Amino acid sequence: MINTIAYGLTIGAILFIISIGLSLTFGTMRIVNFAHGLVYTIGAYMIVSVLPIVRNNFILGALIAVLAVIPISYVIERFVIRKLYGVSIDYAIIATYAVALIGIDAIKWIWGASPIPLSDPVGIDVSFFGITLPLYRLIIILLALVIFFALSLFFKKTMVGKIVVAALDDKDAVRSLGISVDKYFTYVFVIGSSLAALGGVLYAPITSVHPYMGMMVLLVSFAVVIIGGLGNIKGTFISAFVLGMVMAITGRFWGPAAETMVFVVMAIVLIFKPIEV
Amino acid sequence: MLSVTSLDVAYGNAMALHGVSIEVEQGQMVFVAGRNGAGKTTLFKSIAGFLEPRSGAIFFEGKSIVGLPPEKVALLGIRYIFQDKRVFSNLTVRENIELAAYPVNVNMKEAVGKVLQIYPKMENFLSLRAGSLSGGQRQILLIGRALIGNPKLLLIDEPTEGLAAGTINDILNVLSAMKGKVSMVIVEQNLSVVGMLADKVYMVKEGKIMKEMVEKAEINDKMAMERYL
Repeated sequence: MINTIAYGLTIGAILFIISIGLSLTFGTMRIVNFAHGLVYTIGAYMIVSVLPIVRNNFILGALIAVLAVIPISYVIERFVIRKLYGVSIDYAIIATYAVALIGIDAIKWIWGASPIPLSDPVGIDVSFFGITLPLYRLIIILLALVIFFALSLFFKKTMVGKIVVAALDDKDAVRSLGISVDKYFTYVFVIGSSLAALGGVLYAPITSVHPYMGMMVLLVSFAVVIIGGLGNIKGTFISAFVLGMVMAITGRFWGPAAETMVFVVMAIVLIFKPIEV
Repeated sequence: MLSVTSLDVAYGNAMALHGVSIEVEQGQMVFVAGRNGAGKTTLFKSIAGFLEPRSGAIFFEGKSIVGLPPEKVALLGIRYIFQDKRVFSNLTVRENIELAAYPVNVNMKEAVGKVLQIYPKMENFLSLRAGSLSGGQRQILLIGRALIGNPKLLLIDEPTEGLAAGTINDILNVLSAMKGKVSMVIVEQNLSVVGMLADKVYMVKEGKIMKEMVEKAEINDKMAMERYL
């Protein structure tokens, strides 16, 4: 059971890292971004490709993989997402879903469709209080905590962060002060996409890397965002860990129901706390 | 200062404004009065850049501002204060002020001073979340926030809506103190407030200007104004 909890915390940490970008994009721009899962997948493939070049230095490889995704996410924002500001949410779903499908085909063309395994980059287990846990998973959990505190500080202390928080509340009122919110939405989008790519990089050694991995995780991420609250960092953090635990515990007793249970929890939450989009 | 001429604005196929023309001179306090749905807020949104008119002209200090985005209009010196007292509720009062000071490069001391100048009691609330303020305090914060950077024209949408009588007096005191120092266009349904403060009144009904009133006797005659509602 302790291993299940440890697995749940790891899933929760990854879900948080991926979902926070989705939450901010959804919250500020009111855009349902299916291309977010693509960025996560590209991050995973990037680490697969970069590792042999950097002689299996995972930290350097991760850094390069995340940096490589930034221009891709910028292009998606500049030429697709930005055209969708203020239009009906249906158009955003169709357009970003199309981007995701094109991206998946491009991935299949470049890397092939077969799953690619990646080994644990740390390869050490740590034991404490009678629990044995791969150090790599512990690092992921700690990294999620660091990202949570760093983002909380960013949105509380920096002017860019405060503008984004205000825009989450009332975009038009921010514009009426003379602030061009589009520029800040681009920052948010690139930060969110970089984190999604980091999520892909970190999860690649735990799962196998394949073209559809982003689509699968994206649906769970939407559940995290809906339960946690649009643009709510703390809510997303708690929601990610709770759903990670739900997936791990359900999976222990009945594997096929692990992801379904996430949506059951989401449905229950929505009954008591409907969201406004 | 502001000249709106023959403005037609539509939401899809539904016309909201028909040939609306208004003039605002330097330092004037102009009221736009009318019932709900008359087109008052649509007029403000068109001036502030949130809606593109179908036809007509909007000149501010001699330059056309039709087609400019809201942030550009704001930086020209036109500040739009929305209906419903929309402060940034997740930020503190100080952060709300900071956000208004940022695009106009005003330092925080001066910006906070501007708000305290119109409402000294706000000092006690600077560290509170703006969402916890009362309706009247929010409205005063919005007005104070809009004054940062010395704007030339304020568009204030329904400043006394939903406020208790005592709070309305606070708002009236703030507006009276600003009169003559900055030009204002105010949307208001409370005709008593209009009568007390207006230099000029435009009565709006079904997207049209029904009457322009400039004579003080006319503006103070609530019955006369009600005829055009």
